[in-house]
Amino acid sequence: MADKKKKISISDYSKYMCLISIVLVFGVFSVVIPNFIGAYSLQNMMIEAAPLLLMAGGLSFVIYTGGIDLGAGAMVSCTCVLTGIYVADFGNLIIPIMLAVGLAMGLINGLLVTKLKLPSFIVTLCTTNFWSYVALTLCPNGSEIIPMDKRFMVRWATEKVAGIPIMFIIALMGVALLYVFQQYTVYGKSIFAVGANVSAARLAGVDTDMAQISAFVVSGGCSALAGAFYAYKLKSAVPTVGDALTLTAIASVALGGTSMAGGRGSVLRTMIGVVTITGVTSGLNMMGVDPLWKDIVIGIILIGAVCLNSDTKGRDLIIK
Amino acid sequence: MGELLFEAKGVGKTYGANTVLHDIDMHIYGGEVIGLIGENGAGKSTLMKLISGVEKPSMGEMFLQGKPYSASSILDANHQGIGMVFQEQSLVGNLTIAQNIYLGREKEYATCGFVNWKKMNQDAKKALSRIDMDLDPAKRVRDIDFAARQMVEIAKVLDVVTESANGHAIILLDEPTTVLSDEEIQKLFVQVRNMKEQGNAVIFISHRLDEVLEITDRIYVFKDGEETAVMPTKGADVNLLYEKMVGRATTGEFYVESKQTVPTEEVILEVEDLSLFGAFNHVSFQLRKGEILGLCGVEGSGKEDICAVLVGDAAPTAGKIKIKGKECTFPNPCAARKKGILSVPKERRDEGMIGMMSIEDNIVISHMDALSKHSFLSAKKTRRVAEDWVKKAGVKCFSINERINQLSGGNAQKVIFARALESGCGILILNHPTRGVDVGSKEEIYSLIREMTAAGNSIILLGDTLDECIGLSSRIIVLRDGLIRGSFDCPVGDKPLQLDIVQKMM
Amino acid sequence: MKNKWEESLATLSVGQQFAQKVKDDARKDKIRRYAPLILLIIMTMIGAVSQKDFFTWGNVVNIMYQMSIPLVISVGLTYVLLLGSIDLSIEGVMGFAGSFVAFLVVNNSNSNDFGLLGIIAVVLISTLIGAVTGFIHVKARIATFIVTYAVGSIMTGVAVLVYQGTPIQVKDELFIVLSQGKLLGIPYITIIAFLIFIAGALILNYTAFGRAVYAIGDNETAAASTGINIGLTKIKVFALCGCTAGMAGILQCIRLKLGQSSIGLNQMFPVVTAIVIGGGSLAGGKGGALSAFVGVLIYTELANWLTLMGVDPYVKKVIQGVIIIVAVALTINRTRKTISK
Repeated sequence: MADKKKKISISDYSKYMCLISIVLVFGVFSVVIPNFIGAYSLQNMMIEAAPLLLMAGGLSFVIYTGGIDLGAGAMVSCTCVLTGIYVADFGNLIIPIMLAVGLAMGLINGLLVTKLKLPSFIVTLCTTNFWSYVALTLCPNGSEIIPMDKRFMVRWATEKVAGIPIMFIIALMGVALLYVFQQYTVYGKSIFAVGANVSAARLAGVDTDMAQISAFVVSGGCSALAGAFYAYKLKSAVPTVGDALTLTAIASVALGGTSMAGGRGSVLRTMIGVVTITGVTSGLNMMGVDPLWKDIVIGIILIGAVCLNSDTKGRDLIIK
Repeated sequence: MGELLFEAKGVGKTYGANTVLHDIDMHIYGGEVIGLIGENGAGKSTLMKLISGVEKPSMGEMFLQGKPYSASSILDANHQGIGMVFQEQSLVGNLTIAQNIYLGREKEYATCGFVNWKKMNQDAKKALSRIDMDLDPAKRVRDIDFAARQMVEIAKVLDVVTESANGHAIILLDEPTTVLSDEEIQKLFVQVRNMKEQGNAVIFISHRLDEVLEITDRIYVFKDGEETAVMPTKGADVNLLYEKMVGRATTGEFYVESKQTVPTEEVILEVEDLSLFGAFNHVSFQLRKGEILGLCGVEGSGKEDICAVLVGDAAPTAGKIKIKGKECTFPNPCAARKKGILSVPKERRDEGMIGMMSIEDNIVISHMDALSKHSFLSAKKTRRVAEDWVKKAGVKCFSINERINQLSGGNAQKVIFARALESGCGILILNHPTRGVDVGSKEEIYSLIREMTAAGNSIILLGDTLDECIGLSSRIIVLRDGLIRGSFDCPVGDKPLQLDIVQKMM
Repeated sequence: MKNKWEESLATLSVGQQFAQKVKDDARKDKIRRYAPLILLIIMTMIGAVSQKDFFTWGNVVNIMYQMSIPLVISVGLTYVLLLGSIDLSIEGVMGFAGSFVAFLVVNNSNSNDFGLLGIIAVVLISTLIGAVTGFIHVKARIATFIVTYAVGSIMTGVAVLVYQGTPIQVKDELFIVLSQGKLLGIPYITIIAFLIFIAGALILNYTAFGRAVYAIGDNETAAASTGINIGLTKIKVFALCGCTAGMAGILQCIRLKLGQSSIGLNQMFPVVTAIVIGGGSLAGGKGGALSAFVGVLIYTELANWLTLMGVDPYVKKVIQGVIIIVAVALTINRTRKTISK
């Protein structure tokens, strides 16, 4: 009985961790930095957070299954480059095209993981090579700027409606869609079931392969949209934009209290995680901390969040 | 008979409210072989776990050579002179025989941390020759055949144990003969007799009564967690053992026999000459609508594997499965569910409950296709379905949003039953449906099973006890060593005797 | 295979069938064990045909030189993969070790001159980082891919922080001697790498610790029941992997005479590929020092050959990815009902 009580208190803690951390981060920074919560700074943060919201939201689904998508960043780079180069030809039609490309990328990952029964981290590491190959060969000179005369096509994304950047509004809508997907569809339920207990889900007749594939497809699609957003935001094709993003996205998911072992979590919590991390990075930036610290800080946040979420008392599962 | 080596007084084991072993007295003398028999769940393996240090007894005392005995781990038990040869092999395949025998004890052979394999191999050779095995100790365990692995395991246990208890070791052999050929069994018996002559005691667990009669000196018979008889092997015969192994039949009402349906003639499932290499061969049977078909057999008889094949968890080597006359194959359990077969798995916690999800989700998870439109689930519908089932199955919970792993075993099992019933599958495979469930919940589960058949579902039942299997089933198939050995009709009022079935099982 | 079984269904009892199955598995395993050697011979033959001076001493030394750093990485990684775990922090630790050692010895950006002491300190710190990684993995029960991924990112960050964005040039005498010196025509770096590898192989094959690693990878429950301290063994393995990653970073720094985080870039993945080609398994329990050596050799010959054919380095990476997927897919045990996540 006592054991049961303890369990509840641990899960309670991780339940509120995302809220505690967001309050803590914004509280501390608003005291230290006078105009941290100012209109300009907030708008900047929103633009900063928008693509990451989508990317981390999609990545959450792979993590719900207990897997991981280490190639999310590379997919962002790849689609960012494609968008930057071809937006001039296709106009804003490029966004649905990129979405399709992303879904296909995710499908490849999903098929490799389920049909060949390979661990997801190795599959996504391998496909990373492919996406970054595409990105780097299309952009051999570092980055490619969207020509000035075509800029009007992409400018809308960073315009503001009632002070809120359109890009951020779209990202929020994306998160809402993801939430519906997670909560009210057969796929969402199956994805959680696979993460919570894959053998039970299998024996209950859940199509576990389909669940895993759909998680990777969602992740791919979201990463692709994020990539397109980066191209719109930076107004250029940058083949290395996603390099550091995988870590940030995983850390956001973990900070939201989603378990790395799978089976529990929510995109809404991921959203709070993203906002917190964006707060941390912009805060450090505004304090004049060397940006070189960013990866270190995010890495430490990731480890800390994962440690708090992990069930150390758990069953005698062998963890490798 | 030698001196008294081991004594157990009133030993028992409970898991929560469940008593699996009750008031066991046991005496083990040096230089004797003790047989331990009983059907599955009779408590043999639990007792072995207590003696070998895997688990601690909940009550009673144990003595080793007159001193109080308790072991915190297998290793600890080994050091005190008790070693167990496990059924599932505890060898490490990628190490050599010698390395396996001395795994965890390399220090004796190390200088400056570097192990002298030569010396270890020589000692391993000696350890193997003690049981007349002539194997190259530098060979990897993965490369030797199964019988040899078993002997290596015995050599390993013997070496660890005799080292600390010269000539007074107690060796537990758990079903050592299941995968051996007759010739290999005889070889094993020679070794058992050898150990005995050296003054050690051997406990021999087997489902094969002829072997028990051949090798042992005394026999302990277990039934439902209790010791029903102790007798010298001389003077015992197979029939006497059968008699002691079966208990009294429970009255019919416990199993709600009044509601037992008379199966119709309509054949729902037909299995033809189904085989899975290494598990079962040439199994054929028919399942009619509204019927409960019981599969009886000891562990390893192949009944579990038949279930695995039927739910799509394993692919058969040969044979056909026909549902309503149409031949089907299932690549995975999802496909089986779509064709109308679903199971209530044996290991509730690991295979049944989706622990981190709510009661509601656990109930609807197998029936989401029907509760959704274009993949979108209707929250209203799922809630109503779940609430209905919670009421119908009598699940005690605060709300359907509670996580299933916060329920007691019996309640969680009812949720999984609700899932099976909700799934709309006509063929349900109940694998030990009352395992680890308290008596109250058992009765409720039995009525649920009766309701299932009344609703026209067909059931394949793997009972937790033989009594349960007879009480619930309308027909029973008995399996032994992967083959069907007999079939019994079980109409109400004319149920077969446990004795008859046990005779076919062992 | 299925047909053969079908035939024996009628004649054998299930027990015998089971024994038969075990035998079949053992035979398949044997074939699998020799496949890398055959592959090595094929690769060598391709090399010999496409390069006319393949078997000259110069080219042999060249290949040995090319494989030296992967070989050092493979030492620690072999242990980690034997456990069935993964260490994604190798690149970060390498980058850190290379940058930090450059920072500590005579260089163009500060007045440090710790020499050999600096090297030892960096190796010790790398070992400590590995130990901490292992500790977090064991105590917090987190899968290694996530812990090591985070640690790797942190170490890359620390590496960049060490040189503040401008790579440090090494001016130390010792480094210059080590990078250019040769013994019997073999570069010092290669000799050091081979010595490290031999030490790693000896520990793996001749100590109780090495056997414990094998045992845990094959059957963790059985290993625990023989009294092996699983947690401690795992921590030691990650410490060792950190140690060799650190040494690899230092060697790379010696080779390039430059300290920057990117010296670790793309170093880990080829070695994982190589070990799997050599017969290791991501699920643990398979492989060993010798098979790692064979794998690295095959891989180096392949890379050598691809360069010779003028293949673009990014395409090379893609080929790597395909190779590892194929190799892992071929070696994975599908008879077990594993579900990968």
